[in-house]
Amino acid sequence: MSVGVFLVLLLGYFGATPGFLRVENLRDILINAAPLIIAACGMTMVIVAGMIDISAGSALAVCAVVAGLTAKSGAALPFVVLLPILTGALIGAVNGWLVAAARIPAIIVTLGMMSVLRGGVIWWTRGEWIGNLPASFSAVGRGEVAGVPVPVLVATSVVLATALLLSRTPLGRHVYAVGGNPLAAARMGIPVGRVLWLVFVMHGALLGLSALVYASRFSVIQSNAGAGFELLTISAVVVGGVNIFGGQGTVWGSAIGGLLLQVISTGLIFRRVSEYWAPSVQGALVLLAVVADALRTRRAGR
Amino acid sequence: MKRLAVRREAVLVVLLLVEMVVMQALSPLFLTPDNLIEVVRQSAEIGLIALAMTLVIITAGIDLSVGSIVGLSVITMGMLWEDARLPLSVAVPLALFAGALMGGFNGALVTVVGIPPLIVTLATMAGFRGIALGMSQARSIRNFPEGFLWLGQGYVGGVPVQVWILAAAALLFHLALTRTAWGRALLSIGANEAATRLSGVPVNRVKIQVYVLSGFMSALAAVVYAAHVSVAKPDAGLGFELTAITAVVLGGTAVSGGEGGVLGTLIALLMVGFLRSGLTLARVPAEAQDMMVGLLLILVVAVDRWSRRSGRE
Amino acid sequence: MQTAFRVALAAIALFCLMSACGKRQAPSTGTGATGAGTKLVIAVMPKLKGIDYFNAVERGAREAAQELGNIDLTYDGPTEGKVDQQIPFIESWTLQKVNVIAVACNDPDAISPALKRARDKGVHVITYDADANAEKSGREFFVNQATFEDIGRALVDEMAAQAGEEAKVAIVSSSPTAPNQNAWIAVMKRYMAEKYPKMQIITIQYPEEDQGRAFSMTQDILKTYPDVKGVFGISSVAFPGAADAVRQAGKRGQVAVVGLSTPKSMREFVKDGTVKTVILWNPVDLGYLTVYVAKAVAEGTLKPGATEFEAGRLGKVKVEGDQVLLGPPMKFTIQNIDQYDF
Repeated sequence: MSVGVFLVLLLGYFGATPGFLRVENLRDILINAAPLIIAACGMTMVIVAGMIDISAGSALAVCAVVAGLTAKSGAALPFVVLLPILTGALIGAVNGWLVAAARIPAIIVTLGMMSVLRGGVIWWTRGEWIGNLPASFSAVGRGEVAGVPVPVLVATSVVLATALLLSRTPLGRHVYAVGGNPLAAARMGIPVGRVLWLVFVMHGALLGLSALVYASRFSVIQSNAGAGFELLTISAVVVGGVNIFGGQGTVWGSAIGGLLLQVISTGLIFRRVSEYWAPSVQGALVLLAVVADALRTRRAGR
Repeated sequence: MKRLAVRREAVLVVLLLVEMVVMQALSPLFLTPDNLIEVVRQSAEIGLIALAMTLVIITAGIDLSVGSIVGLSVITMGMLWEDARLPLSVAVPLALFAGALMGGFNGALVTVVGIPPLIVTLATMAGFRGIALGMSQARSIRNFPEGFLWLGQGYVGGVPVQVWILAAAALLFHLALTRTAWGRALLSIGANEAATRLSGVPVNRVKIQVYVLSGFMSALAAVVYAAHVSVAKPDAGLGFELTAITAVVLGGTAVSGGEGGVLGTLIALLMVGFLRSGLTLARVPAEAQDMMVGLLLILVVAVDRWSRRSGRE
Repeated sequence: MQTAFRVALAAIALFCLMSACGKRQAPSTGTGATGAGTKLVIAVMPKLKGIDYFNAVERGAREAAQELGNIDLTYDGPTEGKVDQQIPFIESWTLQKVNVIAVACNDPDAISPALKRARDKGVHVITYDADANAEKSGREFFVNQATFEDIGRALVDEMAAQAGEEAKVAIVSSSPTAPNQNAWIAVMKRYMAEKYPKMQIITIQYPEEDQGRAFSMTQDILKTYPDVKGVFGISSVAFPGAADAVRQAGKRGQVAVVGLSTPKSMREFVKDGTVKTVILWNPVDLGYLTVYVAKAVAEGTLKPGATEFEAGRLGKVKVEGDQVLLGPPMKFTIQNIDQYDF
């Protein structure tokens, strides 16, 4: 868990600035990181299964627009919650089918889907942003249950659920087996194609949920939302120590990775780092986390 | 193996020709020398990057940082010229060297430290871009002399200068990949790295060379790009990595490494360029073009897989 | 051989599908400009598609085309605000020999060679929203919505009125390389030093085109600099993001939010008092005026040296040198914001 150590170190460093460790700031960090953490859980499953998804940012935009339009149409809250999740699952199902049945490498499928979805959402909305959202919709992203903000609650449940799924269920063990060695997994009688398809569907559904949490916090929904979100999500997972070749890694690591990225982004503003240099400091910190992890695992491997 | 590669390129050529016929049917202006030359010119920078990316992917690697290397090299060149007052004849080689260094940094992390290329270049993608922004304080550098702009806007024998550069580079890359021991080493590393290592090939050295080449070609693309658009900006090359990767995989290079070629990449580059140009001439809106490029990628690779599987049966 | 045949078959099917899409998209007036005959072909390009602002521009352009009649209007551009993706459109339109190209440039120098080539081939070129390099591009007119100077001053004056002349303020911009934003920031800094020397910019943040980042960055600014009295949101993404953050932090009325965006995306914040004034020119009118100018340039009724120009419902607008001026920026407040639907 070197990423955890890294997070504590950074919290110490940024915590020296006034106000950083105040409860309201930590709370904001958690809320802002929630959509990323939710998406990172899905991405963890995808990467553990030996796959990748670079259409995540475009899918986020599609689901966010679906969420906004459903809310605006006056549909009941359950529909507003379910429809983006179903849309995400549908996108995942298409990706998964192309990967599992048509046997096209995931990176190619999702590279193509990235343009298809991004172009499609602009075609569909004609670039209009969605405003005048009903109050019931905002309650999803800005509400609280027993003092805990809804996004944090949702993110925590998703982390718990996916962690349990991966570590305690046959499906979870299959995901690790498929990602570790697909040939051996097939020989053991694991339905590799079905496992991969399910992973993409679940990941898509989580992206839908992430889009819902993301979009419902704002008063306007951008139809061009989520640019670069796929790389952010993959960074979170990778910083969290998940093996990019599949077969190893935990949701906990990815969740901390997602949190770490948000902490860095907020911390650099608190530390008053020059805004021109901030992106490179961010890149360097990510690289540092990965190099440390690589050196550590290499030593452990010897 | 070789026959397979030849056949894939033949199929791509057929696809390209069919595409050209359809585009000509959509707009009679498509098959004019002006248009075709313009399309190739617009694709030249991505083409230079895609050539090296083909080699990277053949070794089962990937380089996401190429777009950021473009940004950092171009700003290095611009600042050496404007701030350090070096002549461009010195600044350009230094920028190319800087690009090669950045590639070497990627290569060292991949081989010596042993971090997967996707992760290394994901991080350096953010890092290089950030350094370009920080160094330049986000300003752009303009007013380059005419002689330099010739590289990106001039013509030799009716053909744009950068197209000659691309053609020469493509020829070199093709020969290096198909006719040299080094090229065979790349293919063999991609197919089976451990076995290649055992056979005595200095795998790490070859892989570092490939990333250095990728950095160098990105810097070359950066110089051409600056001459083409007359300005050096730290955000130059944003998103180039995905366009280049699209051309490489559409051209039939396997993402798992071990097979592919630069000719396929070039044909695929033209396919995407012609598709966009024909659709623009036919007034198909840009967002629909994006969708079609995505669909084209998925469909072509799907058909390729499907035909190869049924061919094997 | 059989597989090659199958591949070719699949390819033909694929491209036929595409051409079907193409046909559906093509305007009913005929394919390409060559067949347009007497119709005046005007091609208008935004910086990027997919944002409210340029949708409004498109609406105005279409309104003018309809009103003037006999105009074949093409409106297209890249889906990302990148100059290297604008150039192919210019080249393609030049090849089609459209009568006029009107473009909002992502970079003044980068686009100029392509515009020059269009001019050399006899295509009229005007710019709107963001100018090209006038000399290198040979463009005939720039339809200027409001000068950088006007906008920068209006923003600073508004902030001084709301947050006081000695306020500490922050700026939330777009990308660090965005030319319009950087030009406004430069004017704002200079004008502040001149007129409100005690006003101070404490930080500038760049959330790119991401509303979520604009939101969280503003949150962080409010906490890092507790004495901040005002936030400028100077892009159509940054302004709603910053306003959202101020409102959700419960600082409505304590921290002034001033900026540039469309009234549509800011209406909610103006109504609840988070934002008192939205500054912007009317983008619908900008598109409208652009098409009027395009037609006049093509027909030779608007020539260098003119000082006035009659543009339909806008009446007479001023012409200064090679710039057609839309007029001073507008201010949208709670009194008038409901009258605008863009």
